[in-house]
Amino acid sequence: MKKGGIPKFVIYALLIACCSIPLFFKIPIPNKPSDPSVDFYKTLSALKEGDVVLLGSDWTGSTRGESKGHMKAILRTLMRKNVKFVIWSSADPQSPRAALDVIAEVNAERVANKEEKFQRWTQWVSAGFYPNADVAINAVAQDVRTAFGSRRENDTNGVQQQIFKSPVMQKIKSVTDFDLVIDVTASKTTDFHVQFISAKNVPLMFAVTGVMVPETQVFYNSNQIKGFIGGLKGVFDMEQMMEKGINVKDANGKIAVASDKISGEIAPLPGVSVGQGTKYYPTLHVALLLMIIMIGIGNYEMISARKRQKGNG
Amino acid sequence: MPEKQLGAWSLDSQLLGANYWDVGWFGLLFTLMIIVFIVFNVKRAKKGDNLFIRRISGLNAIDEAVGRATEMGRPVLMVPGLSDPVNATAVQAINICAHVAKTAAKFSNPIIMCAYSASMFTLAQEVIRDTYQSEGYPERFDPDSVRFISDRQFAFAAGVSGIIHREQTAAAFFLGEFYAESLIFAETANSIGAIQVASSTEATQTPFFIAACDYVLIGDEFYAASAYLTRDPIMVGSLVGQDWSKMTAIAFIAIGCLNASVMQCNIAAQTEEIYETHKSNPKELADALEDAQKLQKNNFSIPRLIKADKPPKDLKIDREKAPEEPGKEAETK
Amino acid sequence: MNDTIWARNPQGDLKMFIGGGLILGIVLFFGVMQTPIQARRPLVWLVTFLSGGFMVAYTYWPKPINFDAKTELPKNGVETVGSFLQQSFGVVSSFVQIIAAFLLGLGIFSLLRIHLMNIARQKKDWVFSVILLVSMLSMIIFGYWDFMIRQGEKAVDFDDPQFWRMPNMVRDFLFDGLLQQMDAAMFSIIAFFILSAAYRAFRARSVEATILLGTALLVILSLMGVVAGAWDDKVAALAGDGKTGSADFIMNFKITEVAGWLKNTFQTPAITGIKFGIGLGTISMALRIWLGLEKGGKA
Repeated sequence: MKKGGIPKFVIYALLIACCSIPLFFKIPIPNKPSDPSVDFYKTLSALKEGDVVLLGSDWTGSTRGESKGHMKAILRTLMRKNVKFVIWSSADPQSPRAALDVIAEVNAERVANKEEKFQRWTQWVSAGFYPNADVAINAVAQDVRTAFGSRRENDTNGVQQQIFKSPVMQKIKSVTDFDLVIDVTASKTTDFHVQFISAKNVPLMFAVTGVMVPETQVFYNSNQIKGFIGGLKGVFDMEQMMEKGINVKDANGKIAVASDKISGEIAPLPGVSVGQGTKYYPTLHVALLLMIIMIGIGNYEMISARKRQKGNG
Repeated sequence: MPEKQLGAWSLDSQLLGANYWDVGWFGLLFTLMIIVFIVFNVKRAKKGDNLFIRRISGLNAIDEAVGRATEMGRPVLMVPGLSDPVNATAVQAINICAHVAKTAAKFSNPIIMCAYSASMFTLAQEVIRDTYQSEGYPERFDPDSVRFISDRQFAFAAGVSGIIHREQTAAAFFLGEFYAESLIFAETANSIGAIQVASSTEATQTPFFIAACDYVLIGDEFYAASAYLTRDPIMVGSLVGQDWSKMTAIAFIAIGCLNASVMQCNIAAQTEEIYETHKSNPKELADALEDAQKLQKNNFSIPRLIKADKPPKDLKIDREKAPEEPGKEAETK
Repeated sequence: MNDTIWARNPQGDLKMFIGGGLILGIVLFFGVMQTPIQARRPLVWLVTFLSGGFMVAYTYWPKPINFDAKTELPKNGVETVGSFLQQSFGVVSSFVQIIAAFLLGLGIFSLLRIHLMNIARQKKDWVFSVILLVSMLSMIIFGYWDFMIRQGEKAVDFDDPQFWRMPNMVRDFLFDGLLQQMDAAMFSIIAFFILSAAYRAFRARSVEATILLGTALLVILSLMGVVAGAWDDKVAALAGDGKTGSADFIMNFKITEVAGWLKNTFQTPAITGIKFGIGLGTISMALRIWLGLEKGGKA
């Protein structure tokens, strides 16, 4: 197993240590949110009470380190702003379950904070899972009433009804009636959303995993999406912006979260917003540091091996 | 404010009332052009014109990899990606795998092909069996060499990694659509010293393959493989057709750059004027600058030429009412 | 055109649909079996061409705006065809799902054959085959049992664990407790592989590799809040408050600016270029399949 210099076992042990130790400490880390994150929060903040959002949940337990944080931050924002939403999935049969679990968690949080539970049927509905992401997203873009037409949910009296009878879907006749479309995803659904839904001129945003950031940046640069949050940094950005606002001065006159991207300031959201992102970000930090050190060692080994060779030759 | 959003140009088409396109004529024209280029070049190649393809080292390595596996007496592993259902990428991946299988059949070397989806499994089994038959070695084909592993991403990753370890494959081909599991495969195969040829149509996974594999087909080299390996006129012709399309796209990009530069010059000239007028109020200044930019972008030549014409949300076309079906009330909206 | 065949909801006469589908399926099956071998390839091509033709027509045929098939009549021939295509899409997309469902049966058959054979012949590591089959069967049994219970009592809110019964609990244990966790574990293994791959591959072997290494380091550093904050503050302090040209120039060296420049100027065009090439390749591949120029396995 020994390749190069350091055995793999040592590298892996170091990574385990670096990833787990910071989880036990509360380490405050300064942050400057990325431009796409700022745009993401700005667009979310601009939503008004009564707006309806189509929220795609295309992630599963495997990427919950990132996607669950995204989902939670988005749901907290929507619920606190009293924005209605429709959940749907097209990437994986597990995805709707993942979203429903997070909704239950955020609702439990609200109950604990003596806020009202966000009600299924009157404030949000779930349109379920549709196999074949490309076909499903295309169908929603072309005719959302047919695409979601057969889905049913219990109304407030426990009677099964078509979801289009719900107060959430009242004004929805086509996909353009949604005030915003967001996809929390760990898969290729970003491409299909841009291809079919963005083409309809509906404001579109993504919450993607870290590895998808470069690809999503392309859509952001070409203005096909309004903004996106990516990876754990995206979760941390969102939590910090929700907690402290953007360019908002604290009691000491210091700006906690600053961005040159917007000229004015955006107010924080009332309520506790820190969570997974703030907790895991120091871990990411240490892991990245470890990576830099390992790359450094690798290069040192290479250079010294070359020197040895030269010396021998 | 539909007028402001759509610009004067779109209002004209609203008056015409019959513009149904929501993809833009440019998209259709460009697609048609690609088709014409491909079909024309296929015809040209069939006539016997000699069309050139540059060297692709990843594809040259196929024989080397299979040869090494034969020397070591270990199997060759092929994974044709995670397409579900079968799509163009999957068909191409299976085509390249069939070429690998052909080489393996000649050397009588065992192969293992792992399918992610049931449809992929069915297609792959048919194609590989055909390949062995057409090479004249039907008896060398083992039906169990093509296996359905799982259509759950990480169960598939675990299954394939297990096979790599247990069977100690000497060569591994990862071709097609790969996602997060790409590095798991590549590093596992690397850890047992297998020679690896990989390609992902997902741009985000290509760096992982480059870091861990011996040979990587980047981007559309993957689609060039059939033409490169067979020199079949249809394949070669369509490849040249693609290149023509690319060159046209490059020309469009160049024209776009020029156009954007002129547009930026116009904006710069306006900016000065706007700054002088609104410099006392920063908020107004920012709004006025944004409006000026939007106006330029909406009205300048290229965006006007290719921008998809989207009908306004509230555009209503008068249609005749449908007669009610007997015994059924028309559903109210 | 009022309420076309496509828009009809089959829920009322579902049994008739299934029965009709079954009979049609059997007829087609025997029809295809009777077809001479040399006629099969053209037959396959014809089906491919028709299916592809539908998608092409669906994509490029103008779609009616704000059209309600239930209450309105299409305005002209273009709208009639557009509306027909649009309404048929749901049904046609279901075809794909139904065929995929049948193929799943074939997949399971392959899995069973290989692993039952392993067990029967007691090949190396046959115990794993036993584990695989037991896992598969238990997931199928409890998944279906759970589904039946949920379907049977629609009034009960099964999202609330207090209403769960044994099969619901077992399914939850298998699915959420095991599968999801194992999925997450497999995903996190990537972190280890990334680190070992970075250690092995990120070496300044040549000029190109050195450039790659340098840019990678800059991007990694820009993701680290502590480093990025300190670096940017240092640059800002160096530039000072003066609004001079040189101060503006120095501000370009903020790490967030540099990383942003790398992303926007190099990474985005590179990805766009690669994606464009892949897109063209896919179109030409699709065209070859559609027109029957592509012969399977001919690479």
